[in-house]
Amino acid sequence: MTQIPALPFERSESDRVVAGVCAGIARELRVDPTLVRLVLALLTLAGGAGILLYFALWVWTGGRHPVYAVLILGLATMTLLGALGVPWTIFIGAGLMVAGLVLLARRGASLRPGGGSLGIPGIALAVAGAVVLLDHIGSSNAFVGPGALAGALALVLGPWVWQLAKERNERIRLAERAEIAARIHDSVLQTLALVQRHAADEQRVRGLARRQERELRRWLYGSGYGDAQTFEDALADAAADVEEAHGTRIELASAGNAPLDEPLTQLVLAAREAMANAAKHSTADEIAVYAEARPDSVSVFVRDRGVGFDRSAIGDDRRGISESIEARMKRAGGSATVASSPGQGTEVELTMPRGAA
Amino acid sequence: MIRVVLVDDHELFRAGVRGELGDRVEIVGEAGSVAEAVPLIHDLDPDVVLLDVHLPDGGGEAVIAAVSQERPGVKFLALSVSDAAEDVIGVIRAGARGYVTKTISSEELTDAVARVSEGDAVFSPRLAGFVLDAFRAGDPVGPDAELETLTPREREVLQLIARGYRYKEIAARLHLSIKTVEAHVSSVLRKLQLSSRHELTRWAHERRLI
Repeated sequence: MTQIPALPFERSESDRVVAGVCAGIARELRVDPTLVRLVLALLTLAGGAGILLYFALWVWTGGRHPVYAVLILGLATMTLLGALGVPWTIFIGAGLMVAGLVLLARRGASLRPGGGSLGIPGIALAVAGAVVLLDHIGSSNAFVGPGALAGALALVLGPWVWQLAKERNERIRLAERAEIAARIHDSVLQTLALVQRHAADEQRVRGLARRQERELRRWLYGSGYGDAQTFEDALADAAADVEEAHGTRIELASAGNAPLDEPLTQLVLAAREAMANAAKHSTADEIAVYAEARPDSVSVFVRDRGVGFDRSAIGDDRRGISESIEARMKRAGGSATVASSPGQGTEVELTMPRGAA
Repeated sequence: MIRVVLVDDHELFRAGVRGELGDRVEIVGEAGSVAEAVPLIHDLDPDVVLLDVHLPDGGGEAVIAAVSQERPGVKFLALSVSDAAEDVIGVIRAGARGYVTKTISSEELTDAVARVSEGDAVFSPRLAGFVLDAFRAGDPVGPDAELETLTPREREVLQLIARGYRYKEIAARLHLSIKTVEAHVSSVLRKLQLSSRHELTRWAHERRLI
């Protein structure tokens, strides 16, 4: 057999709907991939010729037996001619016979058993072709021809269809794996490197570990990495920031969630200030934060078991509570209550009505 | 002494808990997988099993399912770093009497073990939040309405747990005895385990999809 030349294009790895064949052709011809896809789609209307053509090109560029590609190309041509009005059974019958014989010839013109898997499709093709031809000439049985044709097609194309699906799954799997690897590199490995460098600084290491934990959790169970899209994630980010800055552990619990809008952003900022206050002044080693999103309002409770304070005894220099918490909540349409007494710890309750402007 | 079996696949974590638990608790056995844990619990018949929600060959649910029939006296306390609400609710519904996070202090962990061994329920703030979310107010229907909803009092208690209050503080705040607070929490646990509330399934499903 003559060596079939390689095609002058390669399948596209990046731009693909099925296997990247159309984009590959388009790149070589310097046209829009959509155009190529359209042409193939139109050809598909002509008795499925487009699909066969796609298969042929895919098989060819995949570096598999080019002879299969030639076979499918032949089938595609016949289908096209058939769609144009040429009596298709003649083409198909003859084509199948020729194809089968070519296949057999490739195995050294031998029908000996053990000639490999190519022998069986070859024989099947030739027989199917003969049946189709006979059927057309005799016009005796309306089912023999199409049946044989379908059988032969299934035999030859089946493994390819299966392999095409497998290849696609493999690609998706590889892409997922690459994404996980990238995430782990960007976050976990960086954090571990930082932990090694700051091993002596216990507070810093603790903060790093907690932050990493939150990030991974959000990626695994929440709305993914990146800027927070929901109220719950934004609050978790704020808590992680405070933990990192002050080294106080923050236990976060929540019921319900809501998309992050402007009033809720203000609520998160006020809650962050309350957490920072508790971390700075309470001397407690843990802060409990509970967020509850109800249909009509969202509340955050920030509680510590620290030293507490007497509101009237606080100097004007500590403007955090009145300015950053109470005034902020009021401006955004919400409310803030601070309950504290010396020795009893502090709880700040923040409430924002939903849909507040 | 409370006899405890520790089931967790992280050797480092087991070593940490072993060193931290106070003298009220004795660790009589350790296992790192479902396959190891089931015969061990069966043989030792401990008071409490500290159970990781995630194990390499199945969840903590599998351990509970395999031994609870023949060893009904064993209490389970779920212990996890997992944030996935449906996993936590799953292990509670399988029969665990409480859930705490692995960041809990050793003193609190000892308390939780003691509480569970006495038959009480232990809810961490996080679990309380999950439960409040799962039993969102509204639409109690059907013959099991009692199991389907939380009473206002139970809701109040759970909310305070979520806010980080201890039982003693909750009792003082609501003018109840500690026993009453414990009874409310046990009642919530029972509802969580027995309710056929379709909301629970739907809720877990939603959480998974988000």
